[in-house]
Formats: sequence, C-alpha cells, structure tokens
Amino acid sequence: MDINVARNFAAALAIGLGAIGPGIGMGILGSKAMEAIGRNPEATGQIQTNMILGFAFTEAIAIYALVVALIIKFV
Amino acid sequence: MLKRLLTVRNLIILVAIVALFVISGLLGLGAYKPVVELAAPVVFHIGPFSVTNAIFCAWLAMLLLIIVSWLATRRMPKNLEAASNTDLVPKGIQNVMETIIEVVYDLVKDIAGPKVSKFFPIVMTIFLFVLVSNWFDVLPGFGTIGKLEHPTEEMATNGYIAKGAILTSQPAASPQEGYVMVSLFRPPSTDLNFTLGLAIISVGLSWYFGIRAQGASFFKQFLDVSAFKKGPMGVVQNFAGLLEFVGQFTRIISFSFRLFGNIFAGEVLLAVMAFLIPYIASLPFYGLEVFVGFIQAVVFMMLTLVFFVTATMGHGSEEHQ
Repeated sequence: MDINVARNFAAALAIGLGAIGPGIGMGILGSKAMEAIGRNPEATGQIQTNMILGFAFTEAIAIYALVVALIIKFV
Repeated sequence: MLKRLLTVRNLIILVAIVALFVISGLLGLGAYKPVVELAAPVVFHIGPFSVTNAIFCAWLAMLLLIIVSWLATRRMPKNLEAASNTDLVPKGIQNVMETIIEVVYDLVKDIAGPKVSKFFPIVMTIFLFVLVSNWFDVLPGFGTIGKLEHPTEEMATNGYIAKGAILTSQPAASPQEGYVMVSLFRPPSTDLNFTLGLAIISVGLSWYFGIRAQGASFFKQFLDVSAFKKGPMGVVQNFAGLLEFVGQFTRIISFSFRLFGNIFAGEVLLAVMAFLIPYIASLPFYGLEVFVGFIQAVVFMMLTLVFFVTATMGHGSEEHQ
C-alpha cells in the first residue's frame, strides 16, 4: 500500500474511532445534567457550571485524537 | 411575510452578494486548498531573533489588552476616598470592563471562597489573554494576509499561480512557478509553544501556592512515609500518591493539548470550509468558532482555578480517619 494511502487511512481511523468514546461520554454527562436540573430547577446555575467543566474534560480526549490525526496527515 | 423581506435594503445586499460572486469569478480569484502547517512558520527576523507569526500575534494581543486597560482606567479618580459619588460612576469602556471583571470575580469567589484576592489577578489575566488569542481566529485577515513564497519540499504541493499580489486557485505546474501563502497573522493559541507555556505556568503556580499554603506537607499527598505504619492501606496510599504525581505532569499535557487542539482544528475547519464553498459555507462555522473560543478560555481559567484551590486546600482533608 502506498504511504500516502496509508496516511489517509490512518488519519481517518484515528479521528473516527477516537470520537466514539467521548461522544458517548458527553451524552451520558448531558443526560444526567438534564435529569438533575429537572429534579432541582433552583440549582441550575451550579449544575450548568459543573456540566461545562465535565464537557471540557471529556472533549479533551476527542481533541487528543484529532491532534494525532492532524499530525499523521500534515507532518 | 415575503413582502416584509423585500425591502430596498435587503435587495441591495442581495445584489451586492451576487456581484461579489460574479466579479470574483470573472477575475479568476478563487479559494485555494489550504496548506496546513502544524508548526508556526517564521515571518521576519529582529536581529538574531526569528519571529514566527504566532509570536507576532501574541504581541498584538498583549498590545490590545494593554491599550484597552489603559483606556478603561484613565478616567478613574486617583484618590478614591476623596472622590464624589458622581465621579465614581463608570462610563463607556470602563463600564464594560467593570462588568466583565465583576462577572468573573463572582465566579472565582464561588469556587475559591476566601482566597479569591490571591488567585483572581492571575486567573483573570489568563482568561483575558486566552480569550483574545482565541477570538483573533475569527477576525478577517487571519489566515488570508501574508507573504507569498515558493512552496518548500515538505509541503507536497506545487503552489498556485499568483497574479501580482493576489493568489488565485489555479494550480501551478512546478514549485518554481507556484506560490504558497505564509500567513502573517495566526492566532497565538494555535501554536503549541504558547499553550504549553501557559500550561506550565498554571501547574507551576498551583505547586507554588500549594507549598506556600501547606509547607512541606504539600508533598505528603505524593509520598507519605508515616502511612506505612498503618498497615497495608499505607502501601495503597503511596501507590495512589505516585499516580497523583504522574498526574501532575499529564495535567500540563492535557491543558496544552486541549486549547491547542480546539483552536487549531477550528482554524483548519474555517480554511477548508472557505475552500469548499467560498463566502457561504464558513458562516455557521464562524459562529461555532466564536463559541468554542469563549468556552475554551472559560475552561482553561476554571481548571486553573480549581487546581489552585485543591492545592491550597490540601489533600489531608480527604484522608480516612
């Protein structure tokens, strides 16, 4: 297999498979946050702040996968 | 409802957009396939010091922040006790900056409690610097104004034909004829050096605050020799402490890559979208970039703050007694 073909495959697989986990994780996080807001609408502000914090951590994993894909493709 | 939309102003805007398409088609202008460089390229030299475009834009961001803060504070009375109440009312840019500072101060006070006056200056500085660097990405001119150069070996492209100072989208036949644009402006957060520096400062300062608040017992969270006496739980605790120590270094990597990956990917996305359908396809992505830039600045600030607070609060409070 030509090196450029392999590179394209590798970049696509890296970001494609790497986004599955964080996607599921952020979905779970969001749904639990919605549940919590539904139970206790007064605490919405605090729940939102912590939810954004949680989003940042899980999204970072997807960003690592994206950086690896970019490095494979462009460096 | 259609009648309400067809005002004269809207028709003029529509005609202007169509004219833009037609004129750029006639002149042969086009968006070329973007050349993505992970490392920021050098654009000019000051003596022996080579300046990359990300460093240049970091200086621009600092200049902008300094000018805004000078403008916001020049009407403040010097002697706050002696000023009358009407003198103290803020106007204009001072009002805007005071609103921003008040919102962030409340947020920091929520998380930090009594230590807010120690943490607030550095956290606010990090927030403003990262926010300005991220929002530079959506300004016009970033990624489009630059120097034309012949493509180097590693770019794997022949470049495009340049008409005078404007690069068209017709591919050239050889690297000697074609040109590639090296952008003069690039948001500083797309350079891994910038984000790595900020991450090292954040984590280093959390160690500094922790040692200043707790003294030498700051290191007890990593290696607790006295816990060995308590039996097998001591071994587990020390192992957890070792993992915690390694975790401090992975924090540096995680901070820097989170910011770098988000903003760099956003820049590449904008360039590729502009290449696919010019003028139109990048519009929703500009909105996304504004949002993502703001969120990443907030997240960097809040994570830094949370690490400061846990370092000074001490892990002794979570020990099983």
